[in-house]
Amino acid sequence: MNRFGWNWLGVLPFFAFALLFLVLPTMNIVIGAFRNPAGEFTLANLAGLASPRIVESFVISIQISLASAALGCLIGFAMAAAVVMGGIPAWVRGPLMTFSGVASNFAGVPLAFAFIATLGRVGLVTMLLRQWFGINIYAMGFNLLSFWGLTLTYLFFQIPLMILIITPALEGLKREWREAAEVLGASTGQYWRMVALPILFPSLLGTFALLFANSFGAVATAYALTGSSLSIVPIMLFAQIRGDVLQDPHLGYAMAFGMIVVTGLANLAYVIMRSRAERWMR
Amino acid sequence: MTFLVLDHLQKSFGSTRVVHDFDLHVEKGEFVSFLGPSGCGKTTVLRMVAGFETPSEGRILIDGQDVTRLRPNQRQIGMVFQAYALFPNLTVAENVGFGLKVAGVARADRADRVAEMLELIGLPDLGARFPWQLSGGQQQRVALARALAPRPRVLLLDEPLSALDAKIRVSLRNQIRAIQQQLGITTIFVTHDQEEALSISDRIVVMHRGVADQTGTPREIYNHPATDFVAGFVGTLNRFEAEVLDRGTGRVRVAGAEFSLNRPLDGDVITLAARPEGLALADEGIPAEVTGVEFLGSVQRVRATVAGREVVLDRFNAPSAALPEPGEIVHFSADRSTWLVLARGD
Amino acid sequence: MRHVWSWGAIILGSLYFLLPLIGTVEFSLRMRRGEYSLDAYRSVLADPNFHATFGFSVVMALLTILLGVLIVVPTAYWVRLRLPRLRPVIEFVTLLPLVIPAIVVVFGYIRLFNTSSWLPLTGTAHGTNLLLLCGYATLALPYMYRAVDTGLSTLDVRTLTEAAQSLGAGWTRIIGQLVLPNVLGAVMSGAFLSFAIVIGEFTMATLLNRPAFGPYMQLLGANRAYEPAALAVIAFAATWGCMGLMQLISRVFGAGRSAK
Repeated sequence: MNRFGWNWLGVLPFFAFALLFLVLPTMNIVIGAFRNPAGEFTLANLAGLASPRIVESFVISIQISLASAALGCLIGFAMAAAVVMGGIPAWVRGPLMTFSGVASNFAGVPLAFAFIATLGRVGLVTMLLRQWFGINIYAMGFNLLSFWGLTLTYLFFQIPLMILIITPALEGLKREWREAAEVLGASTGQYWRMVALPILFPSLLGTFALLFANSFGAVATAYALTGSSLSIVPIMLFAQIRGDVLQDPHLGYAMAFGMIVVTGLANLAYVIMRSRAERWMR
Repeated sequence: MTFLVLDHLQKSFGSTRVVHDFDLHVEKGEFVSFLGPSGCGKTTVLRMVAGFETPSEGRILIDGQDVTRLRPNQRQIGMVFQAYALFPNLTVAENVGFGLKVAGVARADRADRVAEMLELIGLPDLGARFPWQLSGGQQQRVALARALAPRPRVLLLDEPLSALDAKIRVSLRNQIRAIQQQLGITTIFVTHDQEEALSISDRIVVMHRGVADQTGTPREIYNHPATDFVAGFVGTLNRFEAEVLDRGTGRVRVAGAEFSLNRPLDGDVITLAARPEGLALADEGIPAEVTGVEFLGSVQRVRATVAGREVVLDRFNAPSAALPEPGEIVHFSADRSTWLVLARGD
Repeated sequence: MRHVWSWGAIILGSLYFLLPLIGTVEFSLRMRRGEYSLDAYRSVLADPNFHATFGFSVVMALLTILLGVLIVVPTAYWVRLRLPRLRPVIEFVTLLPLVIPAIVVVFGYIRLFNTSSWLPLTGTAHGTNLLLLCGYATLALPYMYRAVDTGLSTLDVRTLTEAAQSLGAGWTRIIGQLVLPNVLGAVMSGAFLSFAIVIGEFTMATLLNRPAFGPYMQLLGANRAYEPAALAVIAFAATWGCMGLMQLISRVFGAGRSAK
């Protein structure tokens, strides 16, 4: 029994750190979401989330997250499939994976700058399109500092994340499944429809959820790109923490709590889907 | 009636020739095994028949039809893989019915045929299970049912038992053979296990480095091996160095003992070979020093050295027959017709 | 046919990723009218704030790595050795920073450690720096733990420990001289990833009002045209330099070494 006690001492620093700097702060926010200024339990803060401004910010956040997750999944899948089974030479794979590893962590202020430099009003691609093809995208209604501009920018780290996660799943598609299906008479399309995509589905859905959560919580890129003009939830929370623009600090806690709920659910979906997928891959 | 013809098949990968001039005529309903060590090309030939590899040269004919250029999904072939390859997202019933669904068979007919196949493999109640809920042996049986459900013309099995436990291997191979005979389906079975091949095949093709060394019935292969490789690969072989005393009568001397083979021989020194069960303990014959005796139940096995080489003798157990002791000098003899002459340098 | 689609996907994808990088470099060279020059870079490098904030972030990054190693390596080792059933719990905790957005965490810090709480870290500059450091370590925790845990999985921890103990080694020696060197490759990759995360970090630094590189970049972006692009290039180079070194070193240390 004494031994048992000593063992736990060894992990004390870790748990102390996690408690102090991760769990307690989060709990503080969560509890604060249910407290009013007098310190009593209340659901009023959550009710306050229903105000039009906040609802709208959640809606926009969810829309951007859905859009960047969906496009990230599609494009990432296409690229990963091309490399794993599309006949791309093997030497492309290594650099692609390395690049994806780097780019998936590449969010924040520099990313925003990069896209402004490329697709901003005087960005490189904007100018090239005008000079070489006579296309003025801004005249056509495109604006980097907008919903779609932000989505496009988010793809820079969403696509690589998709590539990183889905490549092992694609490699897990055993060659024998394809051959067995073929011998049984299936065409390529039938194989994908009846075997491959259903097998990949948990991974696809799970990664979609992960990408969604990733996008939902991102602050820096949005702030640097669209400032406060695009009122997504993290930006509103940011402003609230900075200067209590909502005139009610507890509403801020409620918003933060709302964020945790959304990202928490999305991650839960990811974990569930992943364990489903792993079970099949045995 | 020749149903499956493999005509002068060759396969090269780049500059490496993997299959040389492979010829085989298989009768309808025949069970042929491709036997050989890893890398001998047996799986490559199988995959050419299936359509996953294209022969560099040669043709493949099924029931008179040249299928060499056809895709695998156009050949009406059934295949069972070493790793089962059941679709993990489908139930057992859906797996078995896959080929039928792809072919557009109506749901009711599909269900009947699936039930029929599950009955055939002895797993009638597992239709709703998923592959990961089954044991290895069960999965392989389902794989067999799946391959047979669309009524293929030829059945191909690529080392289907290698991934299974020894005990299951024996019972499953007999089951496969029984089903094959019941359905009368032309079958090719690839294995590296000679006991497997010997026990269930109508004919065996022994392959070595891309060449078919010998094609014949199990008894022919075992008792009359055509090449040294076949002699050594199938069954145990005892080798003896023999001095030729008379080429005409075939009189030889082995480790001091002289005897005649009554057939003409070439050369001055040759290698003779005999199976363990072909040797017998006698009062006169080749002297051997016993190094060990194993009692295997139905078989008594005597290990000895002759001129420095290990020799194994097998004989049926007889309670009255005394076993020699290690260290004893005994004498081996054999019927002169059972001696095999191997090429020099083997 | 399949190849057309595959190459199309790869080429279009590569274009999407390469154009912004090229665009940033190109833009950063445009400061002087009519010709390409390094003026933007000169302007940035001449800015004392750049040096101050970049230096601050570099120091913070190094300290984050140190803190991360100190917390993660002994914990991962100890759990493998003595409390294997606790591993899923530890793993879950280390994945929490990926679930809870950084902005929520730092919000929690401000609430929990403000001047009227039991640990008024935000009251002083040093206290806030400490808080920021812990925040960074928390952000880097998932990556550091994953890297070290993977590295440890190649060691036979139990045998190594028993051998060392039979030779009279104490815990510090075991961890410091046996475990750490053997997972150095893994630690390196975790370290470089942490470095990259800290250098560019914006949210926590801004809300805690510390003079880090992230807020500096954002401020410059709001006020200047060409310097931000130069900054982005510098940030890319720093990050990718890290990643490159990470790959290199993990190949040298990680693959080469293994405990017997």
